[in-house]
Amino acid sequence: MKFSSKLSFSAIVLALSLVLVLPFGAIGQEGCKGTPDDPYISMERQEFLEDEPYKGKTINILAPKTTVSKPLYDFAKQWRNETGGKVNITEVPLATFHQKIFTDLITGMGQYDGFLTAAWYYGDFFEGKRYIEPIQKYMDDPKMPYWCPETVNPAIEQLLKWGGEWYGLPNDNDGQAFYYRKDILQKEEYKERFEEEYGYTYSLPPRNHQEIIDIAQFFNDWDWDEDGKKDYGFTGHFKVGGQGMFHYMTWAAPYVISPENRYFWFNPDTMDPLVNSEGHLKALEDLKKLVNAGPKAMMAWTLGEAWDLFLKGDAVVAFTWGDLGALAQDEETSQVKGKLGVSVLPGVEEAYDPIENKWVSFEEPNVVGNNIGGSWHGVISIYSDNPQMTYDYFAYMSRIDNAFWNQMRGWTGVDVGRSFAFLEEHGGSASVEDFTEQNWSENGAIEMSKGYHENFYADQQFNLLRIPGAEEYARAVDVIISQVLSGDTDPAGALDKLADRFNNITARHGKESQMKYYKQMLGE
Amino acid sequence: MAGKSRAAKFVFLLPALLWVLGFVLYPLINSFSLSFFRYTLGRGREAFIGVQNYIDIFNSPEFWFTLKITIYYVLITVTAETLLGLFLAWMVNKRIQFQNFFRTVYTLPIFTTTVAVGYLGVTIFHETGGLANWVMGWFGLDIQWLSSATGAFASSVILDIWRWTPFAFIILLAGLQGVSKSRYEAAMLDTNSSFQIFRYVELPAIRFSLLLVVMLRMVRAFKVFGLPFSLTGGGPGRSTVFYTLYVYRTSMKYFDFGHGAAMAYVLLIIVMIVIFQLFRLLRESFAAE
Amino acid sequence: MFKFMSKPKKAMVYTVLVLATVWMLIPFLWTLENAFKPSIKLFEPGAAIPFLQYQPTLEHWNFALFHQSVIKGLINSIVVSLGTTGIVLIIGTMAGYALARYRFSYVKNKDLTIFFLSQRVLPPVVVLIPFFIILMRINLVDTRLGLILVNVTFNLPFGILIMRSIFNEIPVAIEESAFVDGANDYQVFWRIALPLAKNGLLATALIVFAFSWNEALFALTLTGAKAQTLPVMILSARSTRGVRFGFAAVNTILAIGPPIILTIFLQSNLARGLTFGALKE
Repeated sequence: MKFSSKLSFSAIVLALSLVLVLPFGAIGQEGCKGTPDDPYISMERQEFLEDEPYKGKTINILAPKTTVSKPLYDFAKQWRNETGGKVNITEVPLATFHQKIFTDLITGMGQYDGFLTAAWYYGDFFEGKRYIEPIQKYMDDPKMPYWCPETVNPAIEQLLKWGGEWYGLPNDNDGQAFYYRKDILQKEEYKERFEEEYGYTYSLPPRNHQEIIDIAQFFNDWDWDEDGKKDYGFTGHFKVGGQGMFHYMTWAAPYVISPENRYFWFNPDTMDPLVNSEGHLKALEDLKKLVNAGPKAMMAWTLGEAWDLFLKGDAVVAFTWGDLGALAQDEETSQVKGKLGVSVLPGVEEAYDPIENKWVSFEEPNVVGNNIGGSWHGVISIYSDNPQMTYDYFAYMSRIDNAFWNQMRGWTGVDVGRSFAFLEEHGGSASVEDFTEQNWSENGAIEMSKGYHENFYADQQFNLLRIPGAEEYARAVDVIISQVLSGDTDPAGALDKLADRFNNITARHGKESQMKYYKQMLGE
Repeated sequence: MAGKSRAAKFVFLLPALLWVLGFVLYPLINSFSLSFFRYTLGRGREAFIGVQNYIDIFNSPEFWFTLKITIYYVLITVTAETLLGLFLAWMVNKRIQFQNFFRTVYTLPIFTTTVAVGYLGVTIFHETGGLANWVMGWFGLDIQWLSSATGAFASSVILDIWRWTPFAFIILLAGLQGVSKSRYEAAMLDTNSSFQIFRYVELPAIRFSLLLVVMLRMVRAFKVFGLPFSLTGGGPGRSTVFYTLYVYRTSMKYFDFGHGAAMAYVLLIIVMIVIFQLFRLLRESFAAE
Repeated sequence: MFKFMSKPKKAMVYTVLVLATVWMLIPFLWTLENAFKPSIKLFEPGAAIPFLQYQPTLEHWNFALFHQSVIKGLINSIVVSLGTTGIVLIIGTMAGYALARYRFSYVKNKDLTIFFLSQRVLPPVVVLIPFFIILMRINLVDTRLGLILVNVTFNLPFGILIMRSIFNEIPVAIEESAFVDGANDYQVFWRIALPLAKNGLLATALIVFAFSWNEALFALTLTGAKAQTLPVMILSARSTRGVRFGFAAVNTILAIGPPIILTIFLQSNLARGLTFGALKE
């Protein structure tokens, strides 16, 4: 055939394939191939699988004892059927997980091929030397399961990369969104009484943090749902070791991160801690007001108890992970199915720039999304003898169909966050039926999709601290916040102490190298 | 002693002796030397910094706070447990009915795993749904067992007392049971008051046991770890970070072995001083018997 | 003496004893309840009567027992505790016998005894790091053997001291006559002394078993997935979603069950053992 005929022949073939493929909506997102119903499996992959490539081999995965490690077992079985490879999963108590990973890596014992790691461990993976494998080369390999990196939302993508390169395979999507009792807040009678007391009407969702505080205070300490029990404004988990410091980070983000300034933790040029800035202080004082509009027992609550209060219908606002929304759909434990509103935390009109040391005002509240939490996902150890096999296993779970399956089912512990898991009106490809089939209420599906989409795709994002020693820094925040909120010490002095502790920890790891890692973490 | 070989006594003694020398003395010395270095896991022994670790510790307000609450903890729990144990032992000793039953029941808590007791404590001291506040509710009280600093400290102490009173009970009961009947009979010629009998017959007889209980309990109490770890995680704030938890976090969570070793040694010295004093009292009373 | 107490006084004594019993037993009963209460009812203390106020459920048991790691934890605990007890009994008894029956010239018996006694004063945390490093070097981290080594170290002094007291109580005469008959030291030890010390051996075994069964600090630090013992399993009831109290309760029952059952059967021996260790130094 002559050249021009070849060209037109190709054009026809291309047009035909487009026509054939379009009706199935199989183009999917933004250039992705395949859909959750019909995942894309390349020819090379199919050929590769024909030889049972991993038969007789075993990989060892270390995971923490949490809900999110459950799917690992189910998928290990399926994966084994497909590839012949065996997966040995070991779970250890969450309290010792970090320790176990790093004793394994630092001492060179290298017993594990992969870890279901938390996002903030990354700094430790790179301190001194690199302990995990970059995965770009596997991502480019057509023989490997295809999971379309474009479907990872920008907030989470930040967590899976270091210094601009991919290391983690997407799994859980953690971020704290704001939850409120739409049904209660919509009651005219309560709206009127609120207006009498506070002089304005609140919006739904609330317009800024002050409104949230007012609402919580208004609804605290009386029975507003007529069940005979006293109800509260706010519920949260502030037990030391119960991840209370994440509450603080979520709440404080918009007080400090703004178009003027993107740094929350340190000044990247000097490594001075910013945590005792005026913005941080105001955030803490406001958080204290919010916490006082809830049961005092909160100071000793972990997630289960905090969520329990909301699920029983006794709290009017909360901000926490996607699990709350998922748990709300289970009629056995929840009395708030169909009554939720979810949105990104509304933000504040005045933010502080801790580098320039000045306050900045905005007309519209300054909103910051967050990716706070473990976002537990797979990474490959450099000591693995079978890195490709380990990648294969994790990538299998990240594959669009499997990830979708995980995210629709609350009990897996994997929260909604990949683009295809959001509803169509939010840029995703899921339908309301996908959710309701899994026992979600229609209201729940729409609100969760909207709220978390707002959160993960917000223009500004919080940067979770992931430099070496992140656990120590986080624990320092945890203890100090707990002290302030339980009334043990005053906020200003406490934050200064926190800055001191930060300096100590930084000095121990080496200021210069911490500065380097901080910049890498920020992707600079 | 005809027939006894000289070799036999060493054969019998040596395994244990060698074990102690190897597994106790060696690590002790190792730990001591470690405390003079800056040592982080993975980066090995970095620098000899002399007493810098110790200076850091003594300069740290966290250290003094932890030491303070640990000492309070030790004093309160040991006193309470000894008194309660004595009281119960005294009563059970009176040849009442069901003596065996009571004796067994009062021994049971000693076998519980401390971390399990801590988690159990979370459900019992749960402020809205726990047993403690349910009972307190009958008196119109509502106590912040776990969400306030004093409450958390109190909860830890209460659990500790529950767990360890049996220890005092057992030892003191045995001591009381060692008092011969004839002494009772002699005393009863003079008085009918049980209090007098207690004061002049029983108390002197169990002086040794009492000291023993106090000494052993004190040593144990300084080592408290599992209970507060599972009950409060050290919170709220830092109100229940007792000494061992503090050392554990520094060494195993942050891998800061140099400071961890130094802290451990400070504890050892404190405990040794306390014990030495008590031990002297013990020997004197032993000699008096 | 009690017989002569007046009725009201007697009543008072019994009341106090009963109250104390309730106080001692409540946590056990509470654990039993937690193990069978459905999760929603967990924080309703008023709901205490099974079948009437709540439906007992086996959900926690199903979850725990079929979680292979719980069974593994149980097995590990058994292996470690038995191993520790065995070794302590063997070398501890021998050492106790040596201290009771023989005279040492270089170092006096009394000093040796005090040396062993002083080990009990040692706060375990002081040797936490060195043990970790040692076990790392000989590759015994996360192994049952490693944990046994650690536990033996802490229980050995106890064993030595108790057995020494026991042997001190047994009259030497029987052994002496055996020697006269031509037996050697080892035969005397094995055939005569040991059988006479049966009660002491039992008491020691029980106590050492209980202590290593409950040991948490070193188990947490030195074990990973392979050698986890029950206390570590209990701690793992805490997940990212909060503590699963039902699961913790089941683990607790598994953890405290065996020692308690053993105690109830052998409680009289227990008291003697503990006190022998205490009184006759």
